[in-house]
Amino acid sequence: MLPNRSRTSVLVFLLPPLLLYCAAVLFPILQSLFLSFFSWNGISEMEFVGLANYVRMLTADDIFWRSFFNALLYLAICLVLQLGGALVVASLLTSLRRGRELIKTLYLLPAVISTVAIAFLFVRIYSIDPVGLLNQLLHWIGLGSFERAWLSDVNTVLAAVSAPEGWRFTGLYMLIIYAALIAVPKELEEAAVLDGASKWTLFTKIRFPYIRPVWITTTIMATTYGLRGFDIPYLMTNGGPGQSSELLTTYMYKTAFTSTDFGYASTISVFIVIECLVAVGLILFMLKRKADS
Amino acid sequence: MNKLFRAAAVAAVAALALTACAGGGAASDPSNVSPTGEIKPREISWLLSRPADGAVINIMKKLADDYAEDHPGFALNLITTPDRPSYIQKLETLAAANKLPELFDTDATPFAQELAKQGKMVDADKLLKSLNVYDDYRPGALDYQRFDDGSLYMIPFQFELEFIWYNKALMEKAGVSVPKSLDDIPAMCTALRNAGITPIAIDGQDQWPLERYVAYQPFREAGPDFVQKLKKGEASFSDEAGQKTVNWMADLGKAKCFQEGFSAQGYSDAQNQFTSGQAAMYNIGTWELPSLATDKLNPDVRDDIDFFTLPTTEGSVTSANEFVSPSGIGMAVNSKTYDPLVSDFLKFALEKYPAEYAATGALSPTTNVQTAIPANATPLYKKALETADTLGGKQAMPWDTQLDPTTNGRLQQELVLLVQGNITPEQFTKTMDDAIKQNAPKFFK
Repeated sequence: MLPNRSRTSVLVFLLPPLLLYCAAVLFPILQSLFLSFFSWNGISEMEFVGLANYVRMLTADDIFWRSFFNALLYLAICLVLQLGGALVVASLLTSLRRGRELIKTLYLLPAVISTVAIAFLFVRIYSIDPVGLLNQLLHWIGLGSFERAWLSDVNTVLAAVSAPEGWRFTGLYMLIIYAALIAVPKELEEAAVLDGASKWTLFTKIRFPYIRPVWITTTIMATTYGLRGFDIPYLMTNGGPGQSSELLTTYMYKTAFTSTDFGYASTISVFIVIECLVAVGLILFMLKRKADS
Repeated sequence: MNKLFRAAAVAAVAALALTACAGGGAASDPSNVSPTGEIKPREISWLLSRPADGAVINIMKKLADDYAEDHPGFALNLITTPDRPSYIQKLETLAAANKLPELFDTDATPFAQELAKQGKMVDADKLLKSLNVYDDYRPGALDYQRFDDGSLYMIPFQFELEFIWYNKALMEKAGVSVPKSLDDIPAMCTALRNAGITPIAIDGQDQWPLERYVAYQPFREAGPDFVQKLKKGEASFSDEAGQKTVNWMADLGKAKCFQEGFSAQGYSDAQNQFTSGQAAMYNIGTWELPSLATDKLNPDVRDDIDFFTLPTTEGSVTSANEFVSPSGIGMAVNSKTYDPLVSDFLKFALEKYPAEYAATGALSPTTNVQTAIPANATPLYKKALETADTLGGKQAMPWDTQLDPTTNGRLQQELVLLVQGNITPEQFTKTMDDAIKQNAPKFFK
């Protein structure tokens, strides 16, 4: 417990970032909520429409629902690549004796490359005409029948735009999970090994439960980042072809800045905020229930 | 602590007050094109969407420097965002914040018309007449900038003709010749594909190039009025002209006219495909003359390149010499900041601009100057420029400047699906007619 004087100092120093947070995060959210009850193209008078935007969004907008389900699929792919990939790589790294730093750096590299560069890189990788790396590889290994224009095919485009996002952050989450894994007390593991635990049992009964708090944090981070995913899909396909890779975020952006329908775009943004809160709540609930059991 | 809170509160109120002040300001009279008073030199800004090293920017920079010599303190701040979608977003955001600069670029879109209705743009018709330069302009260049009601609020700085460039050798190899009718193109694509040649190189990523194609059949079938009616819901894709274009677009797709995976390919990809002799046709305007009709063009294809203008159709209501001839994005003058200085600078610049522009080898939006043919030009360069002299009276408007933005976005998305064969012409027709019904009333009250 801090003495009173120190607690006051802490509170005083916490105040500026709190105010900044309110101005930069809470205020825009409240402003979006306010705007969502209006019809406004940015230059004419704002017209109060009550809940009409919400009714339209939930009942009469096919693109909204398409974008919502696309966003969920995008999230699922990103989570598998980011968390699954990170866990596998981090676990393998702990068993490695040499070259850890090099591998960590290599995995982390995509996280520091600009999004625009990644988008252009992957557009080239997926290209069919001229033949990109992926199609070339498929050809070399005798899977020529799978060659396709990955970003123009409505069946593959969503996975194709999700993969770069997953690839990009695998290294970052790997670092976090790796740091947690090496903090697992060695004596616990040694005791389990002496008791005859297999590697799988060691992982599921000792290591993973020990890193659960870190896992919860990374899951929340990856989920909220995934739900806010925007730049790579926007740059690679602009939501197309059709609405095949349209996400709620890209749809919201276009509604605001292309259609100049700021009221309706605010409604979609309010939905995204609620969606993120619900997702985080669900993760905490599920992981807590599992921990309790 | 109390003092701290008080200081924070005062700062917050001051910030809000400042924001309110900055955002305010009523528009002046947009028809007052000759403001009186002293010319007080200052820096003025032009928010524009043109290539940073392009002729328009280079010339205007030079003219601004010349003007500043006699008017110390004057400067023209050119803020360019050549990527059109990003530019439009920037423009709309600044308009919403009431922070548009002295000069800004815009097409004759419904959004721009709304700005004009609110008196935020100077009447260009009156402005050009007051500067005694109105009659110098090509009627087509001005008409391209007009809104539906004939009013003019933008000044053109270019004049372009859009052609279908083709590779004679590849056409010969496939045993096809220049199409006599738009309806010949799908069969032509099939023949080219059978000969192992990509028929048309297209920039699918930017979406407007594919949208050009949807405008062609209705322009021939029903004339330039069709899109004016369509955008307001007075005509529809279910109409004869609409169905003709929907089915034609689907046929282009079935005949695999465009390169595989075109929707993810960009501007330079398409240009490279054509100039490297991989694609037989390429639909683009005279702004690409320096790369298509000079010695910069790949020597392997240089002698094989030619162009044809938009083919007609049987019973066409528009002539062969009428096609897409845009005068580029226009420049609007902010009425709120229009003063003797802006007026005087525009007079100076607009008088001198055409000669400087024509000297670069580009077609001027005015007729009082002769375009200089560059020393490294091929004979095609001259032929392309001369086409401007025989231009007819009607012009095909690009649909992306005509439709309301939401319908336009939907059309661009659905067109790709239609051409790729992901949706049927019936589905396309229904989706687009519904989209117009839902979105047009908000924009065209």
